[in-house]
Amino acid sequence: MSGREAEVAAEIRRIVREDLHARTEFGDSEELASRLDSLALLSLVVAVEDRFRIVLTEEDAAAARSLADLARIVAARAPAEVPP
Amino acid sequence: MGCRTSQLGRVAPAPIRAPKVADPSPRPATTSPAVLSIGRALPGNYADQETLTAALRAHWARQHFNADRLEELHRAVRVKGRHLALPLAEYPELGTFKRSNDAWIRVAEELGAEAITRALDAAGLAPADVDQLVFVTVTGLATPSIDAKLVNRLGLRRDVKRMPVFGLGCVAGAAGLARLSDLLTGFPGDVGVLLSVELCSLTLQREDLSVANAVASGIFGDGAAAVVLAGGSRAVKGPPGPRIVATRSAFYPDTEWVMGWDFRDTGFQVVLSAEVPRITRENIGKDVDGFLAAHGLRRSDVRHWIAHTGGPKVLEAFQSALALPDGALDRSWRSLEEVGNLSSASVLFVLGDLVASGEPSPGDLGLLVAMGPGFCAEMVLLRW
Repeated sequence: MSGREAEVAAEIRRIVREDLHARTEFGDSEELASRLDSLALLSLVVAVEDRFRIVLTEEDAAAARSLADLARIVAARAPAEVPP
Repeated sequence: MGCRTSQLGRVAPAPIRAPKVADPSPRPATTSPAVLSIGRALPGNYADQETLTAALRAHWARQHFNADRLEELHRAVRVKGRHLALPLAEYPELGTFKRSNDAWIRVAEELGAEAITRALDAAGLAPADVDQLVFVTVTGLATPSIDAKLVNRLGLRRDVKRMPVFGLGCVAGAAGLARLSDLLTGFPGDVGVLLSVELCSLTLQREDLSVANAVASGIFGDGAAAVVLAGGSRAVKGPPGPRIVATRSAFYPDTEWVMGWDFRDTGFQVVLSAEVPRITRENIGKDVDGFLAAHGLRRSDVRHWIAHTGGPKVLEAFQSALALPDGALDRSWRSLEEVGNLSSASVLFVLGDLVASGEPSPGDLGLLVAMGPGFCAEMVLLRW
C-alpha cells in the first residue's frame, strides 16, 4: 500500500471501531466479509462514503474484498483535500 | 388514540386438558406460574418503510453524502412498515428531550392502558384482580412511572405491588416475564401483569448521522404488550396458556459497548454494534444448551421457538447457532416485517402470535429467548 492508502486503511479501521462499534481486528488482506455480515458491510459503506465524500459503485464493492482493496479504491477516488 | 390492535384470547381449549363446559372448574394448583393472556397494542399511526425512509431522506440528504445508500440500508433490514407514537408530520417539531419525553409519557400511558385492558379482558380478570405489576421500558422516563399512572387510570388496587424497570432494553420482555415468574413463585396465589411499552420512534436523534442511527431508524417501531400471569396456586377458570417452568439469565462480561444509549441533551442516542449478530451466534447455542440440559432437555425437545426480533442478522444468528429447522422462526420474521423491532415488546408480540394461533398442543415445550444491553440473554422455558 502507498502511504495514502495506508492512511485511508487506518481511517477505515477507526470507522469500524468507532462508528460500527465493532472490535474485530482486520489484517490488510483479510476478507472483509469474513468479519462483517452483509448489513455491517453496508453500514461500513455508508460510513466510508460519508467520511471520504465519495460514492462507491457496485463494481467497487465487488472489487473491495479486503481492507487493502477498499483502501486502494477510496484513496484513488477521494478528493485529495479530504484528509484520511 | 385510535389503535390498530390485535387482541389475544387464551389458548384454545385443548381436548385432553380442558373440559368443554361453559364454566369449567378451577384447575388444580401447580407450582409454575401460567400465562393467562397477552394483550398487544399498536399506535394508530402507521407508515410503510418507503414513506419513513423518504421522510428521513428529506432531512438527511443535506448531511449524508449518498442518501441513496440509506434507502438501501433501510431495505436491507427487511421491515415493511412501522406504527408510530405520533403522526409522521409531528416528529420534526420534537427536537428536544423534553418534547420527546412529554410525548412519550402521554402515549405510553394510553398504549399501556390499552394493552393491559385487552390482556385482562382476555383473561376474564378485572383490574382489581392484579396483585403485581411489572413495567419495563427503555424509551422514555417518567416519575411517577407509567405503572403508577395506570393504577389511577385503570383502577388497580391501592395495595398493588409495582416494579418499574428501565434500562434492560430489548431483553426486557423476556427478563420481565422471567422476573415476574420468579415473583409469583414466591407469591403463588397472586396475579401478575407484565407491561412493556416501547416508543422507539420518540428516541430518534435527527441530527445523529452515525451508522448506528441510520440502521436504528430503519428497524425500530412502537408498540406495547401486556402479559397476565397467574401464580401456581391461583385457581383459574378454563385452560391457562403455557406455564413458565424455568428461567435463565446469561450475562456476557465486558460487552457493555455492544448496545445501549449515549445520553445527550436532546435525548437518547443509540449505541448499536455491528457485532451483535456475531456475539449472539457465539453465545446463544451454548447458553440454550446449558439451560435445557439443566432440565434434562435438548434442543430437539423444544417445539416452539419464540425469538426476539432483533433484526435480520440477529434472527439469522439465532437460526444458525441453534441449527433450527426452516420455518422455526417464521413468527419472529413476520413480526419484524410487519411492525419492526419493538425492543422489549417484540418477543411478547411473537409469543402472543403463537398463543393466539392455537398451534401448541398440551405438553409442548417452547423456549422464549431475547438478548439486549449488557450484553446479555434471557431465556424462558414454557410448557403447554
